[in-house]
Amino acid sequence: VSAPRPLRTGRFALGLTIVAVPLVLALLGPVFAGDPGPRAASFTLGDGHWLGTDFVGRDVWRQVLHGGRPVVLTALAATALAYLVALPVGLISALTRHRLLEELLMRPLDVLLAVPSLLLILLVATVFTPGAVGLALLVALANVPDAARLVRAAATEAAARPAVEALRMQGETWWRMAVGYVGRSMLRTLAADAGTRLTGVLYLVATAAFLGVGVAPDAADWAVMVDRNRTGLFVQPWAVVVPAVLIVALTTGTNLLFDAALDEGGRRTRKETRP
Amino acid sequence: VSGLRSFVARRLLLGALQTVAVVLLVFALTEALPGDAAVALAGDQPDPARIAAIREAMQLDRPAWERLADWASGLLRGDLGTSLVSGRPVSQYLADGFGPTLLLASLTVVLLVPAGFGLGVLAARHAGRPADRLISSVTLAVYAVPEFALGVLLVTVFALRLGWLPPTAVGYGTDLLAHPAALVLPVLVLLSRPVCSLVRLVRAGMIDALASPYVAQARRYGVSGARVRYTHALPNALAPAAQQLARTVDWLLCGVIVVEALYVIPGLGTVLLGAVAERDVPVVQGLAVVFGVLTVVLNLGADLVAHRLAPRTGVAA
Repeated sequence: VSAPRPLRTGRFALGLTIVAVPLVLALLGPVFAGDPGPRAASFTLGDGHWLGTDFVGRDVWRQVLHGGRPVVLTALAATALAYLVALPVGLISALTRHRLLEELLMRPLDVLLAVPSLLLILLVATVFTPGAVGLALLVALANVPDAARLVRAAATEAAARPAVEALRMQGETWWRMAVGYVGRSMLRTLAADAGTRLTGVLYLVATAAFLGVGVAPDAADWAVMVDRNRTGLFVQPWAVVVPAVLIVALTTGTNLLFDAALDEGGRRTRKETRP
Repeated sequence: VSGLRSFVARRLLLGALQTVAVVLLVFALTEALPGDAAVALAGDQPDPARIAAIREAMQLDRPAWERLADWASGLLRGDLGTSLVSGRPVSQYLADGFGPTLLLASLTVVLLVPAGFGLGVLAARHAGRPADRLISSVTLAVYAVPEFALGVLLVTVFALRLGWLPPTAVGYGTDLLAHPAALVLPVLVLLSRPVCSLVRLVRAGMIDALASPYVAQARRYGVSGARVRYTHALPNALAPAAQQLARTVDWLLCGVIVVEALYVIPGLGTVLLGAVAERDVPVVQGLAVVFGVLTVVLNLGADLVAHRLAPRTGVAA
């Protein structure tokens, strides 16, 4: 089922085009947003406001410029944090010869895997009021079990190769074996997983923000804008449609881009069954 | 046979451990309240009477392990405690929200299976051709979209611009079956992610199976194409799909919470969100235990089915 090369390039370009708009808005938007003007009436159109005003009378276009950064940054931070925990846990449990240590590292994760991620986030939100950092930590925590299992599976496969045996007989250090050989040989698998994981994290961060977790009720955040401006959907749809379309473009584009970029690699290192 | 039995035994043990862990985790999270739990739960209305009432209702002066033992033994008897806000039993909250959520979930699963398998097999049959490319691209794109964004856009188009469907289920109460038009958009949104993932899995499994030596052998014997596809190739593509079907329960749960909030449907998701907003700890705990145990049981079932279908590939435990 190998897709011909031009097709893959085409999909890559498509993904890049779709993701470019929300990404540029998210990263550079706050620079061009300018001062907040005086508040106008809620849910009005025209009158110097490109996209009208929102539920408390702020300029929607300005909110859009500001609203992408929290979504993107929280998602990137959560993905990085998840790997920061999952990589050492997965590598150690794959390379250790102590079965007890392996069980001790992996079994608690199996248990955590049983809790639906959004439920975990809502449970914590009942007792704490997490900020953006708290939300990133929570989303990372929800992603650690799956990521650690994947790292362990990929590392176990690499660690069983003769090359590792040769390194071990030569008396190379654990560090050199784990990072220098095993870590390097599973880079492609990791890159493929990072793509799907980032998509999943974006989904979770946006959904949590929509449900009001980890954000202020009037925050400039695309997901919060969709939620709060819904009441005015019939009067002023732009305040909802524009951020919603940007979120769709961001998630869809990310997924298409990573899928196209990693198509070849994904096929070469694809495992028979994903655990 | 002993291999199978020991796998089943290990998987059942893991399931039991997961159930216990879910109960402990749910309890521990609410115990992790900073400072005085009663003050923290009173939140925006920190008047002394309310704080005292919460302290008494949750029996916060007793040691944590005693409360855990009480709560857990109550769970075994089906007693989930009483709400801090209304004083009604938690089981009543569950009973109220159960109908609409069950309706949404079962409609989604009933439509998910034929749609997922149908489109997956269709794509695999035409692998590499326009039909496959269209199905693959659309499923890949929609797979990543959060339900709330998709839902709000569908409302804008179909309820606002075209006026074909009602924008929300407001005013219909729990009797949703009498108003099928109000169910179209919620079910469509709930289906969006699971269908995409199922289609991709079935497609990949079918393409692998159709390229395998036993299918080539069956073709050489002159077995008809349809029979090869549905009685030989499809069962082998089923094992990963069965597991995915259970994983979609996780998504369905996330989706149900969002979709009920978006379309104002009075189901369990709405009950959960309301309880979270009011910091009604017993209600949140009760719902979390029910959702968590449901996920554990369905994943367990799916692993056992997958193991039955393809005993060679060890799954999970």
